[in-house]
Amino acid sequence: MFETSLTWNDILFLLQGAGTTLTITFWAVLGGTILGMLFGLIRATSPWWVNAPIGFVLDILRSVPLLIQFVLANSFKSILKLQVSAFTVGCVVLALYTAAYCAEIVRGGILAVPPTTRRAARSLGMTYTQDLTNIVFPMALRVALPSWIGLTLGVMKDTALVLWIGIVELLRASQVIVTRIQEPLFVLSIAGLIYFLMSFPIARLGAQLEKRWREND
Amino acid sequence: MLNYTFHWRPAFNALPDMLWGALVSLQIAVLSMVIGVVLAVFLALGRQSNNKLLYGFSTGWVELARNTPALFQIYMTYFGLGSFGIHLDSYVALLAGIAFNNAGYLAETFRGGLRAIPHTQTRAARSLGMTAPQAFRLIVLPQMFRIVFYPMTNQMVWALLMTSLGVTVGLNTDLTGVTQDLNVRTFRTFEFFAIAALIYYLLAKLITLSSRLFAWRLFRY
Amino acid sequence: MKLRTTAAAIFIGMLAAMPAKADKLDDIIASGTLRCAVTLDFPPMGSRDEKNQPVGFDVDTCNDLAKALGVKAEIVETPFPDRIPALVSDRADVGVASTSDTLERAKTIGFSIPYFAFKMVVLTKDGTGIDTYESLKGKKTGSTSGTYEAIALEKDMKAWGGGSFRPYQTQADVFLALSQGQIDATVVTNTVAQATVKSGKFKGFVVKGDAPYVTDYVALIGLRQEQGLLNYLDLFVNQQVRTGRYKELYDKWVGGGEAPDLTVKGVYR
Repeated sequence: MFETSLTWNDILFLLQGAGTTLTITFWAVLGGTILGMLFGLIRATSPWWVNAPIGFVLDILRSVPLLIQFVLANSFKSILKLQVSAFTVGCVVLALYTAAYCAEIVRGGILAVPPTTRRAARSLGMTYTQDLTNIVFPMALRVALPSWIGLTLGVMKDTALVLWIGIVELLRASQVIVTRIQEPLFVLSIAGLIYFLMSFPIARLGAQLEKRWREND
Repeated sequence: MLNYTFHWRPAFNALPDMLWGALVSLQIAVLSMVIGVVLAVFLALGRQSNNKLLYGFSTGWVELARNTPALFQIYMTYFGLGSFGIHLDSYVALLAGIAFNNAGYLAETFRGGLRAIPHTQTRAARSLGMTAPQAFRLIVLPQMFRIVFYPMTNQMVWALLMTSLGVTVGLNTDLTGVTQDLNVRTFRTFEFFAIAALIYYLLAKLITLSSRLFAWRLFRY
Repeated sequence: MKLRTTAAAIFIGMLAAMPAKADKLDDIIASGTLRCAVTLDFPPMGSRDEKNQPVGFDVDTCNDLAKALGVKAEIVETPFPDRIPALVSDRADVGVASTSDTLERAKTIGFSIPYFAFKMVVLTKDGTGIDTYESLKGKKTGSTSGTYEAIALEKDMKAWGGGSFRPYQTQADVFLALSQGQIDATVVTNTVAQATVKSGKFKGFVVKGDAPYVTDYVALIGLRQEQGLLNYLDLFVNQQVRTGRYKELYDKWVGGGEAPDLTVKGVYR
């Protein structure tokens, strides 16, 4: 017969962890998207001497393991004696990481709008800003949104790494319980299931959206 | 006022050890990618298959790989399989975990790539007398790899970044493992991890550049 | 006239100097809270009870220290690798986390006099054929990354040749690996070994002999330059032993035999 020492209390502890995972994801994606849109717009529209340094910094964020970024940011914060919690550090690092990817998505979306379309808009008498807001953004959104949903899900999974700087999120919560009741497979499976349930529906939605928009093209 | 004075000299003395670690990281990334690509081709085919079992298996793999954290997957290949009495070495567990993840993501990429190749080509190949596997291997696959080459490069960089997670399953020979080992002995976290970050960046650039060179050599008409 | 100027200068000097003079010890007393970095996967020194609340020798020691200072105690959970960053970043005031007082670490942080001492033992499972430390030769071993015993064990495994050594990030992972058979044996502190075997959570765990290492003295930690605080910590540890509280906590959390001697024969401090 199947027996376990897992209590309802522990399930609650896991769900709390899942809550932390979602909270960090929310702040990271919010901050990352705003910054990413800004950087993406700059990268798509400005001359190379503005573009290159921003691109360089964002490229670094995409080329160093997130784990290393968390550890570095946390110890750098320690050195500067900044009075911010590990939670904030986690959110900020993840937000910058998100921004690095989001900027490329936004840039890709904007550059995907054919120059002829934009020239047509301008020749209809639209100003540069009108062209951006009425023509480029709506068209870029279609290209960018599916990737953005993918990014959001990726960030949610990457939050698992914040356990390294001492935040008890879903994966760490499951490890805490494994330590006490020593049923790794069972507890980890539950954690995996929770991740899956948080991620899968949104992934489906994204795929659906992509399909529908492609059909409309 | 800082509570901290940087000690860079001892950190630079450890550079040779860290570079050896970087080599191990790169090795794992390359191996996991090779295994991942092979598996992904089969998974992508499985997802187009009419066989319910094949379809279910490959869909399950792909969704699991894409909807749970890589850290979770690596932890599972070590401690999860361990509960069944299957003991993978830390190195193998990390490799298996990343390959599992690579295969899941690449399978989706490949599926998109396959879709972009017109069916008429397969039919043309068949009518030239090729068998179905021949047509797939000689006509469809080469074209697919051309389409998916850029996303594959990205996945390769991710594979490298994922090797940093081996430290959670007891690996101490890769770059992060070596760095962490130095860190816990001396508590000089910032110095060692800053150097590690720089090495990872250079490795990632190495991968991007060499794949660009490779693509130029491979895909020119 | 001259006297008045000098007096004024001294007075102003004192005023200016006063805020700068407030050190960590003053800050703790003024803030009313003592934040202790404690590792909570290291029973019986620190762990979580079934309500997932922190308990253990280190938690009680922190509470005692807070009481002595007349402030409230706050436990900041820090995995072993995060103890020092927690201090440097001012997330915690002192570390009560079984930190071995190595010379390498003393370059970065300040140690009090030892507040506990560990002996190392070999922990293994039934049926591995390991019965002494020497029989670890050629076996699969592992321990918690960066700890005193991990460094010593890795060195010996390398010297012997053959076999393997795996560092894990938490003590919990070491036990998980041992119980699953990923490793054949580990070397751990006697207290942890006893607590783990006694807990009955792990089937077949047995202690097989002592590891011939120098006693692992562990100390409270603070920032290297906070001499005032470190001084206070020294006296606190001394008082814990003198008043019998040390013995009391030892019996409560560890039990069995004498509480370890915290002095080293033949040398001061």
